[in-house]
Amino acid sequence: MSENRWLATGNFFTSYKAEQRIFLTHVDRLIFVCFLALLFAWPLVFQVSNKYMLVIDSILIAIIAVYGLNLLTGFAGLISIGHAAFVGVGAYSVATFARILGGDHMLLTHYWPLMIIIAGCVGAVFGAIVGLPSLRLRHLYLVIATLSFQMIFQWTINFSRFYDQGQSIAIGRVFWFTGKVVRKQHYFFWYYVILVFAVILGFTVRNLLRTKQGRSLVAVRDNDRAADAMGIHPGFTKVYAFALSGFYAGVAGALHAYLWRGVGFESFTLHHSISYLAMAIVGGLGTLVGSIVGPVAILMLDLQVENLAEFVGHYLTAIGDVATALRPLSFGLVIVLFLMFEPRGIANWWRIIRTYFKLWPFRY
Amino acid sequence: MKKKQGTIILVALSFLLVLGFSTQTLAGETYKMGLSLAITGPTSDAGNPYSKGAEDYVRYVNDEKLLGDDKLVCFIRDDAYKTENTKRNLEDFLDEEIVFYLNYSTGSTMALKQDFEEEKIPVLPASFHAGNLIDSNYIFLPIASYSSQAVGLAEYVAANHKGSGKPKVALFLHPSAFGRGPLGDVKKAIDVGLGIELVEVVEHGKDLDNTAMLKRLKSKGVQYVISQTVQPPVATMLKGAQSLGMIASTYGEAGKITFLGCHYAGGPDLVGLAGSAAENYYWTTSYKLMTAKGPGTEAQFALAKRYGRDDKLANSPNYTNGIMVVQVAVEAMRRAKTKGKKITRANLYEEMLAMNGYNAYYPLTTVGPVTFSKTDREGVDTLQLYVAKGGVFYGVGLPFVSEYVKKIK
Repeated sequence: MSENRWLATGNFFTSYKAEQRIFLTHVDRLIFVCFLALLFAWPLVFQVSNKYMLVIDSILIAIIAVYGLNLLTGFAGLISIGHAAFVGVGAYSVATFARILGGDHMLLTHYWPLMIIIAGCVGAVFGAIVGLPSLRLRHLYLVIATLSFQMIFQWTINFSRFYDQGQSIAIGRVFWFTGKVVRKQHYFFWYYVILVFAVILGFTVRNLLRTKQGRSLVAVRDNDRAADAMGIHPGFTKVYAFALSGFYAGVAGALHAYLWRGVGFESFTLHHSISYLAMAIVGGLGTLVGSIVGPVAILMLDLQVENLAEFVGHYLTAIGDVATALRPLSFGLVIVLFLMFEPRGIANWWRIIRTYFKLWPFRY
Repeated sequence: MKKKQGTIILVALSFLLVLGFSTQTLAGETYKMGLSLAITGPTSDAGNPYSKGAEDYVRYVNDEKLLGDDKLVCFIRDDAYKTENTKRNLEDFLDEEIVFYLNYSTGSTMALKQDFEEEKIPVLPASFHAGNLIDSNYIFLPIASYSSQAVGLAEYVAANHKGSGKPKVALFLHPSAFGRGPLGDVKKAIDVGLGIELVEVVEHGKDLDNTAMLKRLKSKGVQYVISQTVQPPVATMLKGAQSLGMIASTYGEAGKITFLGCHYAGGPDLVGLAGSAAENYYWTTSYKLMTAKGPGTEAQFALAKRYGRDDKLANSPNYTNGIMVVQVAVEAMRRAKTKGKKITRANLYEEMLAMNGYNAYYPLTTVGPVTFSKTDREGVDTLQLYVAKGGVFYGVGLPFVSEYVKKIK
């Protein structure tokens, strides 16, 4: 690392510790702080309708869920197509309390941060259980195991009387120091709550990757036998990756339940699992930035295609089926194009831009 | 001179100001409604004509000044049959300060129930699921619930069965709350004396072949199958039954199966999907069909023609459905206006609840009056049975009201 922590124009690391810094230069730190301040301040300046606040909140929840999936698939190399089921486990953990105690029970409305943490822990337990087959299975076989979990989850919820056969289970409005969070404040309030969770959990991912436990995930992904030879337990690491991923998903699920004020089966289907995977791929597998930009890109694209499909469906009724097909078509096309032309995802564009400015004004 | 000029300008400005205000008064008020439904995605075959029905009737209300100088605006948004999109649309509508809301699917109606309660907004969904009314005060079903329809069909089966013993019936249900809704009520009706034997309840999947299921039903002696689902699975089942030679050519024909269905499990679109296999299919709804000539159907046809719709759309019961829900909302507005009330959610809700007895509403698009009260939020209680003959549905007998539904309520 260069002596000047403000104007580093290349990599001059003199120790592993220096290389593992969260912010390599003070400029990095400053940009991040400004960005964070912007994220916290903009809703106070700009008035956004509830509709769009709901979209933004949903994107933040997807970011938390994709953190988890990226830890599992991007860092540990374990492909999961049952991630929506883990998110569902978190949401249904809150719903279980709602079914037993009532949606307006104090535990749900006043102690909601505790509920969110509990939901994360339940997600982690389920993650660890589903991760057990990873001790014996790899690659496509493991994918099928996660798919099985998705199917079991869907079937259980859809046919369980306790969960009202997948119909929406209501969650009451929460309370804050200022009293009940009413409709006008709802999305605004949850924006800040979800943002705080997203920032803390993002830092957790970043810090995790600086620890032995985090590096062991990458080691197992790259070569589990080599990792084993270095004293890393591959089996434990894989199960622990699933548990960690389940925790993130569980937190995302609980936030989803509170944001939407209800839990319904249709938000946690296989389609959603594939969407999460697409977000991770488009964003960039194995990168923290990818976990953030992937959900933003996919969900914004989704919204635009939805508007286009609505226009086509409404005014060009003769080709109504084309309107219906627009969403899956564009979704599939984006994934294929990224896999073909930019397998490292949007995060790679960010890396290129950063590298350019890092070396600027020199070319290399 | 300057003073005079100033006075003239002042008078002219005052005049313009007064004129501006009076023009505003003459232009009347604008009442906003919202409709979120599946224009694309699953069930868009029903949602599309439904949206056109609502859209055309709103245009008609404004063109014909049915609300005087006041204007009706109905925001129509696609939700692609996803509750998350419906919620987003609803939030958008609420920001627009709508006074009446039209919803679509069972899932979203159930999920948004608490929002409707909080906002105290009257809601008419396209879903006739009886469960919509539980723990809710603001949801009104336009016509008889799926439960009432299924029990009504079962009653018809019991009353018109020609063979000896109780008729053996199977239910063919959609694997969701929408499909399962009537099951409990049919069982309750049997418990209080409805003379049918419920042999099997089938929740269909996405099978393209129902041979095994049909053979099983046949081996169990099933004589009637009542469907509560959407048209495509019914069409698949009917085609399978036709190829196996199982469809009764007359009602209750011995050794064959007579197929019957509730509102969304039948209608002209089913004929398009199933072709000749839909022949002799019995179907119930509270809406008038275009084959039943009368003032209601003629008006519907004229409306479709006026706004340049094709014949397929004009004849669709879902087009009727869309017209009817706006008719009810407009009627509530009209009544509130007549009484000199402001058009607010609360006043419209009051008017909806008062739609009974002598104040019942006859929209002409249905086979009976729309009646609502504090204790009854199912609109048209009357049902009409239709049968497909030569590719067209015709009315069978007179409209009826299910007796057993009253007993089990």
